[in-house]
Amino acid sequence: MARVSVDDGDLVVDVEGMDKLWALKSRLTIPLANVRGATADPGIVREGKGIRAPGTYVPGVIVAGTFHDDGERVFWDVHDSAKAVVIQLADEHYARLVIEVADPSSTVDMIEGALGGRH
Amino acid sequence: MGRPRGFDEDEVVRAAVALFARRSYDGTSVDDLVTHLGVHRGSLYKTFGSKRGLYLRALRRHIDHDVAALAQTIAAGGSAEEVRRVLAAGHDLGLLFLAMVERAPADAEVAAETTRALGLLDDATESEQVTNQAIGLLLRGRTTAVQQRTLEGVG
Repeated sequence: MARVSVDDGDLVVDVEGMDKLWALKSRLTIPLANVRGATADPGIVREGKGIRAPGTYVPGVIVAGTFHDDGERVFWDVHDSAKAVVIQLADEHYARLVIEVADPSSTVDMIEGALGGRH
Repeated sequence: MGRPRGFDEDEVVRAAVALFARRSYDGTSVDDLVTHLGVHRGSLYKTFGSKRGLYLRALRRHIDHDVAALAQTIAAGGSAEEVRRVLAAGHDLGLLFLAMVERAPADAEVAAETTRALGLLDDATESEQVTNQAIGLLLRGRTTAVQQRTLEGVG
């Protein structure tokens, strides 16, 4: 589970609890200028996650860590696929974050609302 | 300077207009987009940023093409038959109507676009009242057309 907030022009993603061990990184801070959008996407877990880099993957239970998909680096931390949110980035270490949040639709609204009409 | 994406962006946006018009915004999942638009998930995110990013592109395209074409026909003094032909050639105004009901109240950027669309129609009709009547007729027409098809199917 991750907690997402907007703080002083940054998007802050805190990966909570046990996931820290698996996903290896507990906080990601991304300037909003490098955030391209957020989408609730419960279907993404069923798709291939690419080749695993350090992190952990227990089939059907946990997807956490860094994966490489089609030349892109993707951060994953999802247990419950129904609550998966995809955050697309630009000019960042990760091309995209796939995280689990408590309330996907309000998290998506908050992030999209913070983009200031860049779509 | 963008890299080749391996798909026709405008074609994808055009297909998204039809899909969102049929299933609404909330009713369209990323799975639906991947299946119906024939674009990989990663490419969708890379190109449009998010589902909402694609939706806004689709809505703008719908207004720039379908609504603008209708406005032009009205402004040129087109007959009811001509207006019907323009609607039949495009996607009718399904996405605009859905956006007005579903997303505009919750999304300021969508509201700005639907307001722009109404402005185009107002400029064409030169009367808000005529625009309102036209919208009412188009909405009513969507219902009666389905009813007629059903009745014909039974008969």
